Amino acid sequence: MASYPQNFRFGEFVGSILWLVFWVLIIVTLVGLPLVFIVLFYVPLPPIGDEVLTPYLFLTMVVDPSRTIPIVEHLMTTDLFRVAVFPGFTYGALIGGLTIFIERKFLAKMQLRVGPLYAGKIEGIFQLIADGLKLIAKEIIVPSGADKPIFWAAPIAFVSVSAAVVTLIPVAPGWVVADLDVGLLAVFAILGFFPLIALLFSWASNSKYPFIGGLRALHQMIAFEIPFILSALSVVILSGTLNLTGVVEAQLQSYWFIFFVPISAFVFYISSLAELERIPFDLPEAESEIVAGWLTETSGMIYGLLQLGSYIKTYALAALFVVLFLGGWAGPQVFPQEFHTPLVDISPLYDPVAANATLWFTLKTFGMIMLFLLPRGISPRIRIDILLHTGWYKLIVLTFINMFIALALIYGGILGPGGLLVR
Amino acid sequence: MADPVFIGVAVLTVGSAIIALETRELIYGAIALAISMLGVAGFFLLLDAPFVAMFQIAVYVGAVAVLIIFTVMLVRTQALFSVKEDKKRKGAGIALMLIIMASLGALLLASGLNGQFGNFNDSEAIDFREIGEQMLTYYAPTLIIMALTLAGSVIAALALARREEVTSIDGEGQQNGRTD
Repeated sequence: MASYPQNFRFGEFVGSILWLVFWVLIIVTLVGLPLVFIVLFYVPLPPIGDEVLTPYLFLTMVVDPSRTIPIVEHLMTTDLFRVAVFPGFTYGALIGGLTIFIERKFLAKMQLRVGPLYAGKIEGIFQLIADGLKLIAKEIIVPSGADKPIFWAAPIAFVSVSAAVVTLIPVAPGWVVADLDVGLLAVFAILGFFPLIALLFSWASNSKYPFIGGLRALHQMIAFEIPFILSALSVVILSGTLNLTGVVEAQLQSYWFIFFVPISAFVFYISSLAELERIPFDLPEAESEIVAGWLTETSGMIYGLLQLGSYIKTYALAALFVVLFLGGWAGPQVFPQEFHTPLVDISPLYDPVAANATLWFTLKTFGMIMLFLLPRGISPRIRIDILLHTGWYKLIVLTFINMFIALALIYGGILGPGGLLVR
Repeated sequence: MADPVFIGVAVLTVGSAIIALETRELIYGAIALAISMLGVAGFFLLLDAPFVAMFQIAVYVGAVAVLIIFTVMLVRTQALFSVKEDKKRKGAGIALMLIIMASLGALLLASGLNGQFGNFNDSEAIDFREIGEQMLTYYAPTLIIMALTLAGSVIAALALARREEVTSIDGEGQQNGRTD
């Protein structure tokens, strides 16, 4: 039963509403309209079709859904959209978030468990949202004696560096944030920041388990960095370019490079697992030995940010594997040339080639992510001396074998300009 | 001259280099050094040499800075700062640096390098394929000598590391009285 104050009077109620209306009108006249005029006078406005996008036109278009299409179309060409939404952060973070849920369900099914079940009606599909809310609500505890600036900055740096790798990945023809001539080198240069961040964060935590974990992370990432770069080098030899879009186009003209350099692809996969600190190479986070490794002292959203960063990194490395070895966005055209929706005509936004490319790229990337997740269900952790021995001795030799195969393919006239297998 | 990006990168590089020298916390000094190296990579990008810039980041930030930070973390810092710094020495050092910088700048401005290449803004990015071709054709002897030097030093390092390992195992064996 609703209650109201004892001295309630209808006239005062109406009066308060009138006061509200009065203040809204005052604020709109004194602040809103001058803002509109400042925008009109001083901000260079983007042209939409024939007209210039003024605030008035914007407000008119927002009311009518069919007239918002040109605005959306214009927004999709801006750099901000690319960085923040489609080939950039949001796309990577969405795939990373999906990966967390898929990982838990997939591993549970492999081990005859049920996995997350209660959040959401069907198979616990809201588990990720529940986890996110929990992490945001939890208190962030900074350990005593911790180095506060580094402790706060390292998680943010981790997420930003992961997102920086995502910006270099071409998802569809023309859909890449930064199309560098030295894209592949830039990827490896950025990946070089991760051991630095892990080491600094583990040191800043002022605790022995994180420090042991950080040292392990450093050893592991540096040991696997060389086979990682060398395995990508045979792809560079085959395609003759360091530009990632160029690598995909070289595969569109011949066949997927995994058929020519399978050993390099294998080494790249193993090194990616080591770079991502996934089982069987999860020594930096070995939870049965050193509590949680370099993540021991994390809590609340600091843990959330580090997990988000590591899953964005998982997406980035899976996407890099797809770009280098699995032909990027190559695939048969499944989207129709024309696409009509009943209520609002979105055909100006619809690009069949880009949609098709995105579909195939995403499917392949998910396949690779599943391959990254698979060892966690079936393999135990390996010893650190075996890990270092594998990195420094075996994988480097394997990559050299395939590099010579790639050179033979180029000089034998099978691939490369005017080769036998080039369409 | 008044390119804001150039000035920003210059302030970043020089400022973080000064922090790296001046800070009492060794770990912050090492981080500032890494940022300074990133600034140098930014200069390479401004000079249209992305290839060199990427290697600058990969080698100096990814490897050298990590090595320095790793070393700093393992060293006890109290022992290093037992002696207080002399203010006169510091002033003399800054004066000496200014004199050297000024004279080098004057030399460069007076030499033929000044203004010889005209405006850099319109030039295209240096193609690393051309660099590779030049390395393998005109500069091939230099490349071979560099490769031999590097290979020699790597083999020497391996030999040194190996001998040490063998003697230590022998030493242990003798101490424990094993004869095998």
